Amino acid sequence: MIRRNRKGAEGRRAYRSMVLPPFLIYIFVTAFPIALAVILSLSNYNGGKMFGGEPWKIVGFEQYGKLFADPYFWNALRNNIYIVLISVFGQLPLGFLLAYLIYRKIVKFGGFWQGILYVPAIISVIVIGIMWSIIFSPYGPIADAVNRVYSSAYSAKVSALLRSPGGEGVTDELVDGIIDISGSTVGDIFSDPRADLKDFLQSYEPEDLPMLKEDLVNLFAHKWNADFLSKPGVAMIPILFVTLWCWTGVYLIIFHANMQKIDTQIIDAARIDGATEMQVMGRIVLPSLSGTLLNAAILCISGSLSGFALILAMTGGGPARVTQVLSIYMYDTAFMGAANYPLANAIAMMIVLFSLVLILITFGVEKAFGGKE
Amino acid sequence: MNKKTFFTLLFAVVFSLCAYSQKTTLTVLDYIDATAPGYAEVQSVWQRFMVDNPDIEIVKEDLSNEPFHQKLAAYVAAGTVPDVVYMYPSGRSTILHDQKLVKDLEPLLGKEYLSAFIPAVLDTAGQKGGYLAELPQSICYSTVVYVNTKLLSDLRLKVPKTYKELRAMVPRLKAKGIRPVLMANKDDWVMQSCLFSTIVGRMVGDDWIDRALAGKVKFTDKEFVKALEFVQTMYKDGVLGRDTIQISYGEAPALFAAGKAAFFIDGDWRQNSFLTDPKSGVALIDPAKQETDFQFINFPAIPGEKNPGAVSAILGCGYGISASIPAGSAKEKAAVRLVKYLYSREVQTTILELGRYITSRKDVTSDALEPFIPKMKAYYASTSKTCYVLDGALDTSVYTPLNLGLQEIGLGTKTPEQVARTVQDALDLWLAAHKK
Repeated sequence: MIRRNRKGAEGRRAYRSMVLPPFLIYIFVTAFPIALAVILSLSNYNGGKMFGGEPWKIVGFEQYGKLFADPYFWNALRNNIYIVLISVFGQLPLGFLLAYLIYRKIVKFGGFWQGILYVPAIISVIVIGIMWSIIFSPYGPIADAVNRVYSSAYSAKVSALLRSPGGEGVTDELVDGIIDISGSTVGDIFSDPRADLKDFLQSYEPEDLPMLKEDLVNLFAHKWNADFLSKPGVAMIPILFVTLWCWTGVYLIIFHANMQKIDTQIIDAARIDGATEMQVMGRIVLPSLSGTLLNAAILCISGSLSGFALILAMTGGGPARVTQVLSIYMYDTAFMGAANYPLANAIAMMIVLFSLVLILITFGVEKAFGGKE
Repeated sequence: MNKKTFFTLLFAVVFSLCAYSQKTTLTVLDYIDATAPGYAEVQSVWQRFMVDNPDIEIVKEDLSNEPFHQKLAAYVAAGTVPDVVYMYPSGRSTILHDQKLVKDLEPLLGKEYLSAFIPAVLDTAGQKGGYLAELPQSICYSTVVYVNTKLLSDLRLKVPKTYKELRAMVPRLKAKGIRPVLMANKDDWVMQSCLFSTIVGRMVGDDWIDRALAGKVKFTDKEFVKALEFVQTMYKDGVLGRDTIQISYGEAPALFAAGKAAFFIDGDWRQNSFLTDPKSGVALIDPAKQETDFQFINFPAIPGEKNPGAVSAILGCGYGISASIPAGSAKEKAAVRLVKYLYSREVQTTILELGRYITSRKDVTSDALEPFIPKMKAYYASTSKTCYVLDGALDTSVYTPLNLGLQEIGLGTKTPEQVARTVQDALDLWLAAHKK
């Protein structure tokens, strides 16, 4: 009896001595910052020394009120929802489909495609962000390619006008023709389009015709510009595209690895019974991977909400915050301009809350529709 | 090993250890772009100090632009402001001033030392905390119009004196595929600091801003709205392309140097980007071309301006000493020695030759200057009036929505009236908080 008690006490001591260090580390490294974030979100702490500096106190849910009244918060939340949607309904289905194509050997060189699609995930997101921001910039290759198309189309129209009868001199018909093919651009350049354009055309000598054509193309051909960035939602398209491009390969690898675990005899039997490829995918492979899909969805959601570096490198949340997401909004609030630490912590709490809600929804969906692996 | 050798070695080791332990370590947060010309030369300036002062060890961090401000904010939040810190007289360094996180340099540097500087930089009214928190290295002109005169003369155009003349050039420049005015508006502070402050100074004036801060006039009043409308006009007229909002601060100088724009608007500090990097011997604009093909001018006359020729200017940045260093301690003495060295005639001459800024020290001259440097001095001399840089005059909580609003005007998502309303709302909140 005594021996058993002694053994029990030793076991408890050993248990405590082993659990205590990681428990303390957890308390100081994880639990304490989370608790501090909750406290700060309810405080009026204004920077500087936290203890021994300017006094601060708990003021309640003031910052949360400010947050809900701030249109930039809702804009950031909406952008986050776009990213969650493209991740869950873009990366996962696409990753699954690609993995299935490779798994079932429907495409040749599966290993090659697997490698190619996974490459973006191993490049630093900062590098990817900078690279795509250059690609989408006004001097980038997309702008260059699009502007060349616009220019050549406009150039053909101008050439036809300048060649047509009456196009030799500067006639009213020529001026009208240029206004007609240029749309509103003439009004953007000249305050009195008809008169100013006529003066402009008359400033060229007859032998300057090639130069005139080139100049008219420079002036009036439609240009790739940042206008699309001004429209909330549309402004996020480049970011959503890069998000899809960057991470789909990760889910491909996850799904493909898990597909290897499926008993191939089941699939073979189904095929012998006349099941189509779509039926194999929908009735056998998909239900078998429901647990994997759930984990992938959780990864997707948490990644989408904490996604920061890619957007920071691509747009910095700008222009005028139209591409801002919650994590950048939090960072800007804490470290840029008028630093507001309580508000930044309130945003952090909202990110946690939002991700919990989404993960609970995912669990619910899996419970309702998921199969068993 | 005999006894004598052993004790000699032991003495040497103990002496070295003692000497090392007596070393004073200073942490420094400096503002410098590692890709800017002259970076290596600036590093050698610091290296020289460490060689000349073996009892002081410098642990230095170099950052620039947003990463600098964000790191400083993190240090402040953690209560670990570096011993010597590069800082602004207000604006993004407001928290250092407001919470008195840096010492008053006046008693530490002494009157005799400070007499070597132009009186304007010693005027503590220009610093947010009302004391000499940092010693301004220069007077900083935040609006300079860099003109490619060669490009203009090739098109038989003249340097514009009025906005109307600038507007009239747009078709001629665009016809040749040249952008009229280039600005790096991707960073939201650029429009406010490098152009809008001058527009406000010209159309509204500093007195009006003072009255707005006192709650006597409102940003929604027509004077201020008109200044915002002028920015909108610049975009509508095509003088300023809406796609400038996609151009980052780093890429603009190279675009201007490559002849992609006739005019480039930025602060006086930007001249440094075009100069020869002493290490590589490469310049964005060759010194010979600096002399013949470029000019610095004030922004052309704005229709309806009340203060013709005014240009936004502010006390320059400089180094401050952390208030957490105990008074009279060896660390404080080391920090003062370092600051005095950084502002010494010798160092300031090197800095001037690198074209980083026109120093506030009165006794600094050099014959080894690239043409842009005397041209910038000439630009200073040509400006008769200065006005506020708004991020120096307004609280961060007020100028942040202004910065965003100026971008929104550029994008066409907000009207000048809406931006004015947002700024006034922010000011009202700030005024209410200060009344408490």
